[in-house]
Amino acid sequence: MLKNLSKLTAAAIITIVLSAVLLARTIGAGLNEMNLQNGDWVTSTATGTKDANIMLKATVALGGLLASAKKDSMYYRLSTIAGEPLRLNCRYRIEGTDYDANWWSVTAYGWDNYLIPNSPRRYSFNNENLVRNGDGSWVITVAETEQPGNWLPIGPAGAPAWRKLTNHDFDLLLRLYTPGEAYLNTPLSAPLPRVTREACQ
Amino acid sequence: MKWLKWLLGIAAFAWAGQYVLALLLPNLAMETLYLLGDERYGHNQLVVAPVPDENSRQVVRPSPDLLYASCLYNLQDGALTIEAPVPERYWSMQFYQMNTDNYAGITNQRDERDRVGTIAKVTLISADQSPEDYEGEVIQSPTSRGIVLLRASAIGDRTEQQAALDASSCSPTAPS
Repeated sequence: MLKNLSKLTAAAIITIVLSAVLLARTIGAGLNEMNLQNGDWVTSTATGTKDANIMLKATVALGGLLASAKKDSMYYRLSTIAGEPLRLNCRYRIEGTDYDANWWSVTAYGWDNYLIPNSPRRYSFNNENLVRNGDGSWVITVAETEQPGNWLPIGPAGAPAWRKLTNHDFDLLLRLYTPGEAYLNTPLSAPLPRVTREACQ
Repeated sequence: MKWLKWLLGIAAFAWAGQYVLALLLPNLAMETLYLLGDERYGHNQLVVAPVPDENSRQVVRPSPDLLYASCLYNLQDGALTIEAPVPERYWSMQFYQMNTDNYAGITNQRDERDRVGTIAKVTLISADQSPEDYEGEVIQSPTSRGIVLLRASAIGDRTEQQAALDASSCSPTAPS
């Protein structure tokens, strides 16, 4: 009897731990049928609403608590390029122009969903503080080491490494506040910055 | 073959279990945020946060391009009044219930641009109170507890937006 009880307790603990790991992987990989893919960027128009399914609500709870609904803001997240997770040992290039929104920004977050510690204390670029080319276009370089121009520093997340359950080391979040019609109505094809991997060490 | 049955059982329950956890997670995350915030700052009052940086770890994914002020609310003792000067640049007041739903919000954007330069005054009431009993702008919360979050642009010169948040308040509605 006692032997059976210990077996059941052990099985229950393993089941709960496995459930938590499965959930973290599902959320970390963005595996949710309410996710919309625009190139490598992922968004959802149901974020913050009662229409969100349980996986999207769980995703918001873990990685976007207090996100607002789409009329106020839309969020596009990028954690992989052509299936390859973003890595700290690589250098990435983000190219873009202007986007139809009251304001927009690109922010780098560690795998722990918080701003990445870095000595210049630079966490994002927005539509006003970017150094632009003559035609208004811009380039951001995402790398651990200092880069010329718009350098978005990355580095180890603030949380201890043993808690990491995601494949990516960091991700990028495009915020569009008061987004225009293209983002509200056709989020899968609306114009977004292009992110490419330049080199890895 | 008995161990195989156990393995299959654990795998099946773990797969289903992730959905149960997903169901519990939003309320759990909000309860944790509420309890920690309540312990540190109390409820039914507005707290203006410093500009987010790498040390901001109360709420995930803070934006370094926004200024934030929040009010953890509990309507069990009655309605709350939230007053906030509305600046020129981006500003919003969003209402969240304990399952993370952003159930209401006002802003100075789109067809609400006429709020700029005014003081937004919102009476927040619980589901069992009647909006007809209150004057002006009334928002009914689906749950007795929740969070009001004020966001204002931190882009460029943030003086006006910071002053607007500093002058905002969240307090029990005075009896009429």
